Amino acid sequence: MSLADLHFFKMTREPSLDALCAVVAERHAQGLATILYAGGTDWMVEQEMRAPLHDEPPLVVDIGRMGELRGISLAGDSLRIGAGTTYLELERSAVVQARAPMLVRMAKDVGAVQIQARGTLGGNLATASPAADGVAALAAYDATIVVKSARGERRIAMADLQTGYKKSTRAADEIIVAVELAPPPEGSPWYWRKVGARRAQAISKVALAGVAVVENGTATRFGVGMVSVAPVTARMATTRALVLGKALAEITAEEIDHAVDQDVTPIDDVRSTGEYRSHVARALTRDLLRQLGARV
Amino acid sequence: MVHGSPVEIPRPSVGVSVPRVDGAAKVTGEALYVDDLPKRDGELHGATVRSPVARGVLRGVRLDPAFNWSDVTIVQAADIAVNTVALIVDDQPILAATHVNHVYEPVVLLACADKAKLARAVRAVTLDIEPLPPVFDMEQSLAKVEIIAGEDNVQKRYLITKGRADVKVEPGAVNGESATAIDAAIAACDVVVTGRYFAHHQEQMYIEPQGVVAWWDTDGAHATGSIQCPFYVHKAFTKAFLLDADRIHITQAVTGGGFGGKEEYPSIIALHAALLAQKSGAPVRMIYDRKEDIEATTKRHPCICEITSGCDRDGTLRALSIRMIMDGGAYVTLTPVVLSRGTLHAAGAYRWDDVRIESIAVATNTPPNGAFRGFGAPQTIWAIERHLDAVAKKLGRDPIDLKEQNVLREGDVTSTGQVLRSSVAGAECLEKAVLASDYRAKRARGPVVSGRTARGIGAAVFMHGAGFTGSGERYLKGKVAVDLLAGGRLGIRTASTDIGQGTETVFRQIAADAAGIAVDAVDFAVPSTTTCPDSGPTVASRTVMVVGSIVENAAKQLSARVRAEVEAHGGTFGEATDRLIAREGPITSLLQYAPPSFITWDDTTYKGDAYPCYGWACDVAEVEVDLDTFEVTVVDFWSATDVGKAINPVMCKGQIEGGSLQAIGWAVSEEITWRDGHITNPRMTNYIIPTSLDAPRFQTILVEAPFAMGPGGGAKGIGELPMDGGAPAIAAAVEHAVGVAMGSLPLTPERILAAKQASERTSA
Ligand SMILES: Cc1cc2nc3c(=O)[nH]c(=O)nc-3n(C[C@H](O)[C@H](O)[C@H](O)COP(=O)(O)OP(=O)(O)OC[C@H]3O[C@@H](n4cnc5c(N)ncnc54)[C@H](O)[C@@H]3O)c2cc1C
Repeated sequence: MSLADLHFFKMTREPSLDALCAVVAERHAQGLATILYAGGTDWMVEQEMRAPLHDEPPLVVDIGRMGELRGISLAGDSLRIGAGTTYLELERSAVVQARAPMLVRMAKDVGAVQIQARGTLGGNLATASPAADGVAALAAYDATIVVKSARGERRIAMADLQTGYKKSTRAADEIIVAVELAPPPEGSPWYWRKVGARRAQAISKVALAGVAVVENGTATRFGVGMVSVAPVTARMATTRALVLGKALAEITAEEIDHAVDQDVTPIDDVRSTGEYRSHVARALTRDLLRQLGARV
Repeated sequence: MVHGSPVEIPRPSVGVSVPRVDGAAKVTGEALYVDDLPKRDGELHGATVRSPVARGVLRGVRLDPAFNWSDVTIVQAADIAVNTVALIVDDQPILAATHVNHVYEPVVLLACADKAKLARAVRAVTLDIEPLPPVFDMEQSLAKVEIIAGEDNVQKRYLITKGRADVKVEPGAVNGESATAIDAAIAACDVVVTGRYFAHHQEQMYIEPQGVVAWWDTDGAHATGSIQCPFYVHKAFTKAFLLDADRIHITQAVTGGGFGGKEEYPSIIALHAALLAQKSGAPVRMIYDRKEDIEATTKRHPCICEITSGCDRDGTLRALSIRMIMDGGAYVTLTPVVLSRGTLHAAGAYRWDDVRIESIAVATNTPPNGAFRGFGAPQTIWAIERHLDAVAKKLGRDPIDLKEQNVLREGDVTSTGQVLRSSVAGAECLEKAVLASDYRAKRARGPVVSGRTARGIGAAVFMHGAGFTGSGERYLKGKVAVDLLAGGRLGIRTASTDIGQGTETVFRQIAADAAGIAVDAVDFAVPSTTTCPDSGPTVASRTVMVVGSIVENAAKQLSARVRAEVEAHGGTFGEATDRLIAREGPITSLLQYAPPSFITWDDTTYKGDAYPCYGWACDVAEVEVDLDTFEVTVVDFWSATDVGKAINPVMCKGQIEGGSLQAIGWAVSEEITWRDGHITNPRMTNYIIPTSLDAPRFQTILVEAPFAMGPGGGAKGIGELPMDGGAPAIAAAVEHAVGVAMGSLPLTPERILAAKQASERTSA
């Protein structure tokens, strides 16, 4: 099948987030799913992969223009990014450039410019794939996800979001509204390195996102997220503990390798091998820590 | 120029980069590819039910009784008059009848007006297949672990012998006298090197997947589609439908790339569509999506070369022994010809006194491999170039010096005994590429390590036979018709297709200059078996050199008649043409190719002039290898390529750069991955061809060593040559950068890391 052969489906827009929550809740109660069409870059691929067997066309709600899901704002120490923000908007945002530059760098590595212009952070988080670049970057910032349903609004810490391969603690009727993060002081070091099979349109074999605050040779804040090395985005608890517990200059390569090995469980798949991913996971982590001052 | 205007002599167009004639329609979306062709009345969509099993006995086909089949046309093997795809050997059924021999083998065809229902119908068919043990590995096939094809799984063998190995012709012999003789010749050499080299599958990945529309009417069978060689499809229809030649009408639609992938495969999809059309009585359109296209259609043949060579201490190459195996896949298709070209290029662009090359193609239970740009040569050139790099290392010399010392020059004799009389430009290409890239200084400096990356540079020297092998053109008898049209225009009718490479434009340039008229006074007819003569297939780098020369002669002939008329009775070219047509009726020059008379070739001994001439080239690649991740970035790519004469320099460079990028993809990122005979990456997201961001800076130097019989002042074939050198040049550069000598493709980071770890283990 090609996309041109998609079954007809109904596509609507809702006037407000509350109205959207109501529609989703009502259908949810009847056991029906609602597709929230943000950029469509994950959903359309799924449609192409599956034969058009359903006779009941799905309801697709275009949320691309929903005001409540859009906008980037800095209030005090909290940077709030609407779920409907595209990668290109991240790249072009002066606030994000200044306060969360790693997100800008990450966004430039997503797909190619066409995907960056359509794909959204919300879609990336909703799919919650371990291969999602945006999720890893947000994990490194220890961001919080704001979700809303007819039952009300709540916040989910990145650490609590993913529970298994493409599984999350977000309920099926919860809409992702925004992400919030506490940006490190301006000028703080950050790291983004994506290893894919080519320079664009490549899903990560491995990617590493990192943010840190270093005071007197010791990291006082250190967050990382690694892509495609575990069933969920790897938050690298052992590595984080190692780095936060010690002067950077004293951390050895062996300690890093050992910690990384604890933190990742990569597999062979169509994109790469477990062995290669383990090697790259160690090499990128060393590279990150080298840049922070570790002598490795 | 306004045609018919008085004696304006147009400027020559050969050698000028006139814009592509088909360019505007393609970039504006006006060009109609097969899927854009207007829907015909009552048209149905066609689909294929394919085997999920690599090898087995087909016990039956079950149609789900719960499914409403009333508006679905079903074709099975029993519906076909002659169930054979006409190619070299009659081993491939159009639909599997009793056995399946590879995953994705077509078994049942379905047609339905509703495309979504058609997709469901495909799932409502169950194939009852009793599995048999499959063979996926070519060495296991050769070892006859299972007999899966013929008596011994062997699809074809060749043996080339020269010098002391030339003791007797012994096709099929594995350890004959020639083997003993070559072993002795090698043993007597100062320096002996042995190596094993592997080249992998490659998917053509033309931008437009395969597709055909077929229908029947009172004139017989019609098929229009994305087709490289309309007369191949014509031949297939003659056989399968037992039709007279004039009842079959095969027409090319605008075609979005082929690279060989649309050479033989379109026969199958066209037969399928025509079978459904015949049974349903309605036109049927079959368009593969990307997944089906990658899974079911042909790929480049994997190839193993085991090479042992001997040379003098001063680097003079002496004796060469090669044993090579190609994986033909489940059916023979074009494998004998691919193996032939691979074998003929296996000795590389070098002088050897004594040669023995033994080549074997074997069957495996994978989809048939077939034509792909280079046609077997990139695989064997990969091997010989890597091998010479190893020889140079053993001699303690730079590979380029060894290659320069031994590259074939005018008067030298190839491994088939061909004396290279003229148009021999290997040394010139080498010199130019080396100079432009500053190769020697960069090699001397050693790899440049900066931060976590290392830079290296490497080169490959190669030649590629232009046109059909040996006596091929003599059998082929390629023809072209050129019509003299009102007002002094010319109309070219040929079966040579423009599949994106620019044939339409270049043929116009050749005809225009031959006739002394303007390019836009030449028309190019849509290639069709009904209206165009059989010019032979659009393959083998023969279109410009061979068919172009027929075009040139026909145009010259017509122009001579018109000019004689001008001499006799005055007037312009256009007026004289109109008078001639008024007097004589339609005037056409229908010419057949006259192969160069000097060519002698013996198909049984594989001796003589393997090709009328060769294109020559030297590629230099500079790469950056990431020392953490082993990602290879090709930073710069120089190619000095001898094309004989560039008819259209921009398009000529386009072929070289595009071909080189295809070679870069094959070298560093493209890889078909398999599980139980299934392809696990049949998508553009995971079969990794390079993007524009992955393309290096190209510096292409056109070298022109004209071929006396080539059109436009000496053009030679250029289509395949640029596919040959990229992989070995990059591998040499990677070796320079990180010291890992890779003998197997592709050079993915995973493989480089594994090779590095393995070499560290052995040296530890
Ligand atoms: C060619 C290509 C290249 C790609 N490259 C990359 C890459 O390099 N890195 C990467 O990480 N990803 C990549 N992707 C995947 C994809 O682009 C990203 O995951 C993107 O962020 C998805 O966002 P979207 O808005 O397009 O999602 P959509 O397709 O619109 O939605 C995806 C899913 O999320 C749900 N959803 C969307 N928004 C919300 C919301 N606000 N609340 C709740 N549910 C929601 C939808 O219902 C749907 O099920 C690529 C995709 C393609 C096609």
